[in-house]
Amino acid sequence: MKRHIFYKLLLLTIIIAGTSSCERDDICAEATQTTPHLVIEFYDINDPDVLKEVRQLSVRGFDRDNNPLDDITVSSPLNSITLPLYFLNEGENVVSRFSIEKDTDFRLDTDPATESNVDVIEVSYTPQFEYVSRACGYKSIFTNLSITVVQDGNNWILSNEVIFTTIENENEAHILLRH
Amino acid sequence: MKHTSYFVISLLLLMLVPMTSFSQEEDNTKQQDTLVFKQKYGLRLGVDIYRPIRSFIDDDYTGFEINGDYRLTKNIYLAGELGTEQRSDVTDYLDVTAKGSYFKAGVDYNFYQNWLDMENMIYGGFRVGVSSFSQTLNSYTVYNTDPYYDDPFTSDVSQEFKGLSAIWAEIIFGMKVEVINNIYVGANVQLKGRITETKPENFANLYIPGFNKVFDSGRFGIGFGYNVSYLIPIYKKDKKVAVEQ
Repeated sequence: MKRHIFYKLLLLTIIIAGTSSCERDDICAEATQTTPHLVIEFYDINDPDVLKEVRQLSVRGFDRDNNPLDDITVSSPLNSITLPLYFLNEGENVVSRFSIEKDTDFRLDTDPATESNVDVIEVSYTPQFEYVSRACGYKSIFTNLSITVVQDGNNWILSNEVIFTTIENENEAHILLRH
Repeated sequence: MKHTSYFVISLLLLMLVPMTSFSQEEDNTKQQDTLVFKQKYGLRLGVDIYRPIRSFIDDDYTGFEINGDYRLTKNIYLAGELGTEQRSDVTDYLDVTAKGSYFKAGVDYNFYQNWLDMENMIYGGFRVGVSSFSQTLNSYTVYNTDPYYDDPFTSDVSQEFKGLSAIWAEIIFGMKVEVINNIYVGANVQLKGRITETKPENFANLYIPGFNKVFDSGRFGIGFGYNVSYLIPIYKKDKKVAVEQ
């Protein structure tokens, strides 16, 4: 008779133990700083401390075989872009190319007298993997950042400056381009 | 059967209590009737039954635990657990195997006022746990929210982090019921708080044998156990039960 109470309590303990073992969601929170993008800002060549928008800006990356990929989304104001960085093995230096096009509408219209201006930049960096959390796993940060603007005789990007050689977050621009 | 008759007897006694207490006010002669029961004192050894079952059904888990307690006084028991576990955690971004052994020691206090000769337990207690383990990062995929390029990079190079350890404290609540003579079944839950741990370089402890899952959110953990144990009686002590006063 008395034992039945014990068995009930035993069952209750089992139920409590069973439900408490349910794992909470292991989802990486969006606010977590994971693999950062490269942030580039455009400044005025005549007034080096002032941001300057790029008219009709469009940006593309390339795959490893140098075929152009889709447009990278840019948003107003067009004085700043964030670029995804390709990487493979940790510690293995990567060079990524991006085409940065100004006056894109001049290419798209039918007027042969007007042309857009496409400049290609080559960004070099080394991925380094850092542990974040159980939910997010590892992120990559990038070190040894450098940039080259490919000279094509008609560059609209006139100068460049690397502000941070290590890309750890997206809070500030890593590279400034002047035009 | 014996217990049923005890139950009936004690129920009858219980019914007499109001009457006797009432009658006590009239005549002040106190009766001091007591029943004497032999209480078994000894070492109780057991195994956790959940871990072997889980080892059998869950490919990502292998574990075994033996536990024991030694009755010091009427309500206080010295208690401890010794175990070994191997567990793999596989998420979209990490594949990790933790492997190691642990030891926990502490005290249990039996809150339950047993009836007559019964020796069941509803107890609370504390433990200090120590674990020595290793973690193997079998593979990982770098977390990248931007799908612009192809699939994110995955490393399949296994890395082992050895010589890890952790110390924690826990509060335990549970019960043990004597189902047949000297054989007990029990269940318990444990709330754990990490005190110290050695963290691997550029990584973290995701599972600590004995402590269980390590949450991102903090130092606390949870665990449970189901066990079957056998009491090796060493000596007996009298337990006096006052029938009425």
